[in-house]
Amino acid sequence: MTAWKNIAASLDPPIPAEDAERIAPVLEALEQSFRPLVRSIPQGADVWTAPE
Amino acid sequence: MTIVEAAAALRVKRVSSVELTRESLTGIGRSNPKLNAFITVTPEQALAQAAERDVELARGMDRGPLHGIPIAHKDLVCTKGVLTTAGSRLFADFVPDFDAEVAARLNEAGAVTVGKTGLHELAYGITSTNPHYGAVRNPWNTDAIPGGSSGGSGAAVAAGLVAMATGTDTGGSIRIPSSFCGTVGLKPTYEAVSRRGVLALSLTFDHIGPMTRTVRDAAISFNAISEANYVPPASVDIAGLRIGIPRNFFFAHLDPEVEEAVRKAIATAVTLGAVVKEVSLPDIAALNTVGRILLLSEAVSVLRPYLGRRTDFGQDVLALLDQGRMISAADYLDAQRLRRLMYQEFTRVWADVDCIFTPATPMVAPLIGQRTVQTGTIIEDVRLAATRFARSINILGIPALAMPVGFSASRLPVGLQILAPARREDVLLKVGAALEDALALTMRGRTMETA
Repeated sequence: MTAWKNIAASLDPPIPAEDAERIAPVLEALEQSFRPLVRSIPQGADVWTAPE
Repeated sequence: MTIVEAAAALRVKRVSSVELTRESLTGIGRSNPKLNAFITVTPEQALAQAAERDVELARGMDRGPLHGIPIAHKDLVCTKGVLTTAGSRLFADFVPDFDAEVAARLNEAGAVTVGKTGLHELAYGITSTNPHYGAVRNPWNTDAIPGGSSGGSGAAVAAGLVAMATGTDTGGSIRIPSSFCGTVGLKPTYEAVSRRGVLALSLTFDHIGPMTRTVRDAAISFNAISEANYVPPASVDIAGLRIGIPRNFFFAHLDPEVEEAVRKAIATAVTLGAVVKEVSLPDIAALNTVGRILLLSEAVSVLRPYLGRRTDFGQDVLALLDQGRMISAADYLDAQRLRRLMYQEFTRVWADVDCIFTPATPMVAPLIGQRTVQTGTIIEDVRLAATRFARSINILGIPALAMPVGFSASRLPVGLQILAPARREDVLLKVGAALEDALALTMRGRTMETA
């Protein structure tokens, strides 16, 4: 699990602890759906540029 | 009046641009206290511009169908000498000394700008309940949201205050208010309309487009603002057109009234000779996840200079910016790689169909302040529900049209979304116009709360 609250505190300007507390579950859920997608990226896949 | 109707009336001298503009300004004066659709109204400037347009027409100078027609701009479209707030306290006093490209093009086409419409703060949300400029209200039920972020444009067009207003769409911000307000909204192909001079939210999927009362008016407006030399389709014959109906995602978790109206629109297209074919689309939920990573990150990049001014942001926007600040650069780039892969996968569907029909939103307009909504058998966050069918399309950069196809029992409009391959706005506008004629949806015959 990512330590969202630690990251929030380390930013400049920092994100206040109570705000970090509120958004951590949202980020955790997003991470849960994003991580498996990242694992599916084939080697050499390039970034999007524009509709072809 | 629609653009088509007003343009005809102007040319037979049944009405003047000054009269149309006065009518628009009177309507705004009457309705804006209830709707809060406008942040700024520019009566002197508009009437002077209208008088000039009348003189031009009298001298035989005709700039085309928008000549002398009152319009409005979403208040993040820069307009020379006119306050442009982006619905934010950060830009509360910002008066640009230039016109955005889209505003310049509409001026050149002869349109008369009557004011700047309200929006969700910084275009970063879908309610248009703005903590700094107040809640924009839906003309069909003033207790309901108009959608967003182009909520003021949707409300102004739906209430007949202007025939056309500009909108921007980063995750549904033209199509969601069009769905909730019963207007037509065109999100063109990415960069088909210049973003120059429009305050950004994202760096790779902000889209600019028209919001109107009819599909034909959207075609006229797109013709005026598009970078390419777009010519509106002359025919609305859709016999043989292949319409894709998604097997997956878009018809799951829907308000039954929305599904019924959209299915009726599909059946109507069939009676016009279109051929319907079921299609399987790539994982749209995954595409939405990718879209959230991209938008959260890019909005931070755009607004980085202001991040220290926490008290100048509304709570919902601040929470999104805070989330974006915690996404890594590697995750952002991986999201852009996934975006390309998903685009390539999605593109394969165009071998089988010419366009795709989906609901524009899974539900009709929720009430102001409502946090969750029931869509079919599930209860979900209003923002996530409203963007569920729209966000992925921004990530693909393909064009999409939202148009009204019915009403709920609670007298709120239901929106259809039509998708087409990149740079095929002509397909959207043709099938949209055909449906509009066939459904004969009498939006103006319905009673709005503001009437």
